[in-house]
Amino acid sequence: MYVYRIMLFLVFGGYLLSPLLMSGWSSPETAWYRPFVIWGVLIALSIWLEQKRKLDER
Amino acid sequence: MNASLGGVFLLGAGYLALLFACALAVERGWIPLRLVRHPAVYTLALGVYASAWAIYGSLELASQVGYGYLAYYLGVAGAFLLAPVLLLPIQRMTRTYQLSSLADLFAFRFRSRWVGTLVTLVSALAVLPLLALQVQTMGDAIHLMTGAASPSMLALVFCALIALFTILFGARHTRLHARHDTLLATIALDSLVKLAAMLILGAVALFGIFDGPADLQAWLDGPGLARQAEVTHLDPGQWRTLLLLFFAAAFLMPHMFHMTFAETLSRRALLQAGWSLPLFLLLMALPVPLILWGAQRIGADESGLGAAYLAFGLSDTWWVDTLAFLAGLAAASGTLIIISLALSGMILNHLVLVAHPPAYQPDLYRWLRWLRRALIAAVVFGGWLFYRTVGVHHDLTTLGLASFVGMAQCLPGMLAVLYWPGANRKGMVAGLLMGVLIWLLGLWLPLLTGMPALVVIPPGLEALQGAPVWYAVALEALAANILTFILVSLATRTSEGERAAAEACSVDAVIRPKRLPLMASSGEDFKHHLAEALGEEVANREVDRALGALHMSPHDGRPYALRRLRDRIQANLSGLMGPSVAQDIVDRFLPYRRDGQAATDDIHFVESRLEAYRSRLTGLARELDGLRRYHRRTLAQLPIGLCAFGDDGELLMWNDALAELSGIDGASVIGSRRNSLPAPWAELLGRVLAGPHSHLYKQPVELAKGQRYLTLHKAVLSNGDEERGGTVILIEDHSEMKWLEDELVHAARLASIGQLAAGVAHEIGNPITGISSLAQNLRYDTDDPDLLETADQIQQLTDRVSRIVGSLVGFAHGGRHVHGTTFAPVTLHHVTEEALHLIHLARSGQDVVYRNQCPPDLTVEGDAQRLIQVLVNLLSNARDASPEGGEVVVAAEPEGRGVSLTVTDEGPGIDARVRDHLFEPFTTTKAPGEGTGLGLPLVYSIIAEHHGQIHIDSPPLGRERGTRIYMWLPTTREDGENRDEPDSDR
Repeated sequence: MYVYRIMLFLVFGGYLLSPLLMSGWSSPETAWYRPFVIWGVLIALSIWLEQKRKLDER
Repeated sequence: MNASLGGVFLLGAGYLALLFACALAVERGWIPLRLVRHPAVYTLALGVYASAWAIYGSLELASQVGYGYLAYYLGVAGAFLLAPVLLLPIQRMTRTYQLSSLADLFAFRFRSRWVGTLVTLVSALAVLPLLALQVQTMGDAIHLMTGAASPSMLALVFCALIALFTILFGARHTRLHARHDTLLATIALDSLVKLAAMLILGAVALFGIFDGPADLQAWLDGPGLARQAEVTHLDPGQWRTLLLLFFAAAFLMPHMFHMTFAETLSRRALLQAGWSLPLFLLLMALPVPLILWGAQRIGADESGLGAAYLAFGLSDTWWVDTLAFLAGLAAASGTLIIISLALSGMILNHLVLVAHPPAYQPDLYRWLRWLRRALIAAVVFGGWLFYRTVGVHHDLTTLGLASFVGMAQCLPGMLAVLYWPGANRKGMVAGLLMGVLIWLLGLWLPLLTGMPALVVIPPGLEALQGAPVWYAVALEALAANILTFILVSLATRTSEGERAAAEACSVDAVIRPKRLPLMASSGEDFKHHLAEALGEEVANREVDRALGALHMSPHDGRPYALRRLRDRIQANLSGLMGPSVAQDIVDRFLPYRRDGQAATDDIHFVESRLEAYRSRLTGLARELDGLRRYHRRTLAQLPIGLCAFGDDGELLMWNDALAELSGIDGASVIGSRRNSLPAPWAELLGRVLAGPHSHLYKQPVELAKGQRYLTLHKAVLSNGDEERGGTVILIEDHSEMKWLEDELVHAARLASIGQLAAGVAHEIGNPITGISSLAQNLRYDTDDPDLLETADQIQQLTDRVSRIVGSLVGFAHGGRHVHGTTFAPVTLHHVTEEALHLIHLARSGQDVVYRNQCPPDLTVEGDAQRLIQVLVNLLSNARDASPEGGEVVVAAEPEGRGVSLTVTDEGPGIDARVRDHLFEPFTTTKAPGEGTGLGLPLVYSIIAEHHGQIHIDSPPLGRERGTRIYMWLPTTREDGENRDEPDSDR
């Protein structure tokens, strides 16, 4: 359940801060693939939390 | 651009034939089940979310708002990243109560069929533009490939094929809430095709038009910069609103709800989708800007293709067009299949069945199936019609956003289902109507009629002036919806039924189901009651199905089991006809008995739910649950029988010790009434429950193990404001103690008889001595040979009587432990003869043959009378154990510094478990009342006084049966020897 709270915090924090990220992505200095890299990192974090949750529930 | 209409038809029909083949392969079992049911297949099936919007609409949006197009993917990804807190609770509810759609869930939670109808109508209206969008992309793609002026008829043919597929493979089961392996596998294939096509198109752009990522970056920093400057960036409010709309779509859109929850998949699969679906969406989103930039670089965007269809302009080669067409067709077909399936179910349950309840139908299942098929065709055709009449006049973004904004009006209701038990029906309906009204006037009706959008900007929201219509309408509708919902819910009363349903639906549900008896008394009885509503055949099948799922017997009459059966039947009927109709049927035909008694909490059910949800508890709740489990275990494993009854006489606990004593498993009786317990428990427990006393001592009962004596103690639990009342009963098995008491009484009686016999023997001795003296005198008084012989015989007989009397008196006195007994040499042969002599006096065992094989010259140091007592005891045991005509042998031989003496019989032998305890008082192998259990302990103590050893061989070495008592006695007594205990192997 604690693991879920981390994800809750991340998703809602991301939701609130996402306009800042958006403006960063749109600037010409930013590499075109940056949004996808951030997204990938979030998925990797989610996989890690899922593994942790499985261990918790064992 | 140069394909013929026939060629495109063959391409599309060929692809749809591939779907048919895939479905057939799964159905026939040609594809291994472990592959079909792999969580990856479920994830790919969830990829149905990526509809034609993801292929074409995203390109259109990306060309307008740049990275803003990502909202379509990130919103859903966010919802799935929150799967454990958001989607799992919904899955739990839908599985528990067999709810297959959003309308089912709302109707269940807000306890109203009209809520279900309202949600169905809103869903149908909201989904129509999305359906039209799918058909429109098909039509546009056909037009782009063939140049046909009117591609709608070919689009209609594709729609017909898609409807046929859905009817054949999706509507085969009557139940909505069933796993359709074929459907899942086909939609997964759809997702795989569109993903592969998009990745290839992205690669064509990245490596065919650009020279890889570096070249792309160089173009973006150089010539492309001007093109990117044309993009309108979404302001933070619009971006967040888009994210929210797509976040809500993840679980509100009928096709997403159906795929995520109605296809009964495991919790594990949904948790895995928490990261695998965002990964799938990432891969789907990645090629979109690549295709856009590639098309911009080669100037394809200026060729009049339309921003949505730039993928067709990436290359002049036929296969790029084919890929772009197939990606769209795969996405559109998947979405059409699942939306038509989900929406037809909603319309059936919440419009058709509500307007026309299923009165007696000769074949209910068939009737439902055909209705559903007709509705599937109607939904797909509705989508085509909307495209033909409305869709063609609008771009994809307008159609898509109108749909998503409409569906988002159910978001406040859904959040209340999960997190606000205080919300009520009136609030939800008022809020939803308010939001839908604003949406209809602002987006939907203008879409349909072409009239200008009616958007009223309230004071304080002037910032919305000039904002895109979709944004203003979405914000206003949602705000009005939420405010109305909250205010009306707070201002109006919530019904009891709603409150109970709210508790059942809440994420941190405190489930406190009430306990009331049912009118029906068994599973068989359920069938008769339900037959009135469903017909005999359907009622039988539904009840049998529920009984099978619960592993219950049709004759089980336990109130607890009947309540679970009722719940299960309601859930199953809900899967068949929706929760509203199911609840009506169950309430009418399987009612509770309300004979004045108040409903009490169903503790057993609450406990079973707590057990099931244990892993979800955290913090204090987890600690408390740990404590509860500890106390529960303590009671369950108490070495004394324990049972507990509720206030209404329903059995709540039956612990392990009681299960062992009674031979009745707790699971089979918990939840039953006291009077329905098997004999003798119903009567026995009834006596203690009804009686004025708290204790019942040593009550004789006949159990499977034979007669037992049970002591019962009762404690009444007081019924306070917050506490549940009831009665707890402890049951102790006092049979052993009762038997010991009986044995002691028996032994005391035997001892009295022995003393009496010794007294009688003593009294007989005197006249016998007189007779002997008179016979002696007679010998002196006569010379008559006949009289002399008679006197001689009288004397022999009186000697025999004296010897018998002497033995009897000696045996009686020998039972007492006498200190300072003087030991003398004793001939074992003689002692054995004396013992045999006494044994022969007994009437029983006359047919047993005794053999004295002791050598006449073998002596030991001991007390002859007490050794006779030893042998009498052992010989009488041997006699009792021997079969008819059996042989008992007493043998002796020198062994070391003593003599071994054995008594061997041919009886059945002694059980090893009893053998080790035979020298303990009151241990006997004889039937109760026949043996005292004191003989062998006496033997043991006498041998101990003689410093000997004793043990039992059963069976003796080299034999298959029989028993040998082995004793060793010293030949001479050693001075200073002070051994109190004999050696034995016990």
